[in-house]
Amino acid sequence: MKFTLVVYGAPHASEGAASALRFARALLEAGHSLYRVFFYGDGVHNGSALAAPPQDEQDLLGQWQRLQQAHNLDLVVCIAAAQRRGLLSESEASRLEKSAANLATGFTLAGLGQLAEAAAVCERVVTFGG
Amino acid sequence: MTLHIVSKSPYSSSALADCLRTCGNGDAIVLIEDGVYAAQTGSEKLQDFAGKAVFCLRADAEARGVAVTATVDEIDEARWVALCTEYRPIVSWFK
Repeated sequence: MKFTLVVYGAPHASEGAASALRFARALLEAGHSLYRVFFYGDGVHNGSALAAPPQDEQDLLGQWQRLQQAHNLDLVVCIAAAQRRGLLSESEASRLEKSAANLATGFTLAGLGQLAEAAAVCERVVTFGG
Repeated sequence: MTLHIVSKSPYSSSALADCLRTCGNGDAIVLIEDGVYAAQTGSEKLQDFAGKAVFCLRADAEARGVAVTATVDEIDEARWVALCTEYRPIVSWFK
């Protein structure tokens, strides 16, 4: 079955993102497909390359990136939510004349249309709150 | 039939109460994260679950030292995914 996950939770602010990661692993292990993970609202902070959690804490970013590489996942960060919160790709940073970019490798910025399209294409959409 | 996922404690949020107001016949509820506190043995919240299919994520209950009452099914992540394939739509309650 084809799933899309929506993540509203920022890392370390709520468990939503960690739960989404556990759910993503479990559905892939069960042989289902993960069409897209859409990071929305404060969930966009999951895509920050600059997060540097202590070594004895869970490294959510690294875990998302490893899962993305292993399964060629489409990790999409809502562009409008990201701009407001200071999460920028190289091209957005340049376009908005900001001094740095911080979108992590493996994530892409895109509009809400990507969530609508995923909801239309997938049999299940599961939301993970903030 | 709808699968309701509740991730907030019934003692700090109205998420479970809001969910129960819309939970119809044949729906199921999965308690995750702080939502598992509703399934604690002896909890006064348990009476609200009468006649409903209620599941609780075992890892989240264990992480909190919550002893889950016998009438709530403790499940692992694989069963959680399976439930999501058996029900539709899936509604998350987290406010």
